[in-house]
Amino acid sequence: MGPSGSGKSTLALALAGLVPREIPGEFAGALEVDGLDPVTADGPAVAARVGLVFQDPESQLVMERVEDDVAFGLESRGWSAEDMRARIPETLDEVGLAGFERRRTTRLSGGQQQRLALAGALAPRPGIVVLDEPTANLDPDGARAFAERLATVRAARAATIVLVEHRVDVAWPLADLVLALGADGRPIDVGTPAEVLARSRAAIEASGTWLPGGGAAGAARSTFTSAGPTVPPILTARGLRFAYDGPAVVDGIDLDLRPGERVALVGPNGSGKSTLARLLAGLLRPNAGSVRLGGADPSRLKAHDLARLAGFVFQDPEAQFVATTVRDEALAGLNGEDPRTASRVEALMARLGLPLDAFGDRSPYSLSGGEERRLSLAPALARAPRLLVLDEPTFGQDRRGCEALEAILAEHVATGTAVLAATHDERFIASFASRVIRLENGRIAADEVVA
Amino acid sequence: MIVRRLEVEERALASPLGRTSPVLKLGIALLWLVALAFSYDIRPAAVVAAAALLAGLTLGRLAPGRLVAGVAPLWAIALGIGLTNMLFAAANLDPANTVVAVIGPLRLTSAGILAGVGVAARVVAVVAVGVVFGQTTDSTSLVDSLVQQAGMPERFAYGALAAYQAIPRLVDQMTTLRQARRIRGFRWGWHPSMVVGLLVLAIRHGDRLALAMDARGFGSGPRSRYREVRWSGLDAMMAAGALVVAALAVLAGR
Repeated sequence: MGPSGSGKSTLALALAGLVPREIPGEFAGALEVDGLDPVTADGPAVAARVGLVFQDPESQLVMERVEDDVAFGLESRGWSAEDMRARIPETLDEVGLAGFERRRTTRLSGGQQQRLALAGALAPRPGIVVLDEPTANLDPDGARAFAERLATVRAARAATIVLVEHRVDVAWPLADLVLALGADGRPIDVGTPAEVLARSRAAIEASGTWLPGGGAAGAARSTFTSAGPTVPPILTARGLRFAYDGPAVVDGIDLDLRPGERVALVGPNGSGKSTLARLLAGLLRPNAGSVRLGGADPSRLKAHDLARLAGFVFQDPEAQFVATTVRDEALAGLNGEDPRTASRVEALMARLGLPLDAFGDRSPYSLSGGEERRLSLAPALARAPRLLVLDEPTFGQDRRGCEALEAILAEHVATGTAVLAATHDERFIASFASRVIRLENGRIAADEVVA
Repeated sequence: MIVRRLEVEERALASPLGRTSPVLKLGIALLWLVALAFSYDIRPAAVVAAAALLAGLTLGRLAPGRLVAGVAPLWAIALGIGLTNMLFAAANLDPANTVVAVIGPLRLTSAGILAGVGVAARVVAVVAVGVVFGQTTDSTSLVDSLVQQAGMPERFAYGALAAYQAIPRLVDQMTTLRQARRIRGFRWGWHPSMVVGLLVLAIRHGDRLALAMDARGFGSGPRSRYREVRWSGLDAMMAAGALVVAALAVLAGR
């Protein structure tokens, strides 16, 4: 564990023998994995001992069908066809995907895809399985199912599990040993979870990492003030329906958002949250129904008019950068010549932990995952839109990042901005939301005021 | 996911055409296209297009709707190319040719129409062959066949597979990038900076996938095979049938 940018992923890749061999860099010190030195040992020997699971299912599943994807790693290691035929169903059963052999991987849910990636890593019977935030993209149910499978693997004691995870509720109950890294990449403490909590709680909290049971949820809640229900809505949606091609992804949505409302949009992966968010912000045009934002149809507004009314933060930070430096990215579309705008953006970036004097000239793509996420928030937060739509805003964020985000959101809310966040993050929902809308199969299954 | 590729149907994969070696099918496609090159006549193209569509419907068990609606843009392109060639054919300028219609400054002659229909027929033939191949071949068997039957290096075959599977993702990301520009007040449409962004995203995705493949031991030594691919009697029959069609196409053009 460690805050964003503390080198957790780099350490994970080093354990798997990929740093510094595949990703070159300066490397010092001694590393021994299952009796081998991954830096000097040859690739196949290390790959045979280590299984690796990444965060994003789409960039680690290679083959079209489930059984072929599990077979991929076995073929690489030269397993015989009979051994593969015996091992594949066995591994799929271990991760709860028995009977899915012929299924296309694109037809699996995000949680199933991650369990398939786990199966691919486990199949060759590695001595160590390294998982780099495997549940970051999953809804709470998917994350729980994944954690259950991991607990089974742990109970079988078949392999050592190294888990990099922001979600402490997933990681801590599984851990025999905790390594806490600081923001500078140096270890704060190593030991059993109880020891580490007893010895280093303060240091770990100061580094900006989540701790189990802790969290500033209560404190953050008080920073939000709610608007009265009598205020007329800033956004009205009626009978919204949208289909890409095939069945409707979003159907029959009626929704009012009032100034100062803090809405969490929840629901399982694939329930239509991202699509609905884009419809409300005028980025998609509905097949049926209407959206009125500040009296206009946002999907028909000119871009510069829409940008004044609404802000939007997309789920994948990298897919929304429009500039080649952090400074240009933060200022894109704003009037950077205006000293007031420039100083406002500068202050915002400092609060987001990306001060422009240190980060301004860097490429957005060179940032760590958590830093990229915070940069992607900046353009929307730098404006004062009437509606702010965020798609998984706390994704990959450490405690400090979440707290900064919540504090900035609270200021926007206080000036009457309506904020809608599509999110899986139960902690964020608890501290942020005044209203929770639950989507299931593209329809509103529940719409409740919570605070 | 915003864009879904038209998935190959299970019943098409279980059909005789679906069980035919993908490398052989590629060879047949190439042979038929060569057969088209012998003449400007419309008949060889008609023979090839009809053979491909018929094979797809019967031997490939493809639903007729999939052949038409599934690749509507391709058919539209074929039509467009045909029409353009019809209107702008060199034959239209020849005063010796009979004028059928005059559209503004354009003369449309019977020879021009024939030229346009000829080109359209070829495009239709190419599209038909491509669609039937694509709708009866899954990517796993294509890679297995390329490696085991055509001797293609594994790194190349799996790389091509990964690139192919990344296309829908890239289209999604392009959409997101355009929306990200719109919400920040930039005009809807294309901008050169998007190319940079997409390139970065594509390279990063490739990097990650390559890393994931390396982590699973790819390229670390000789690979074993989960699926052994062998030439079959079915392949021989398909090859013989394809030769007959090619011969017919060449003869039809004489």
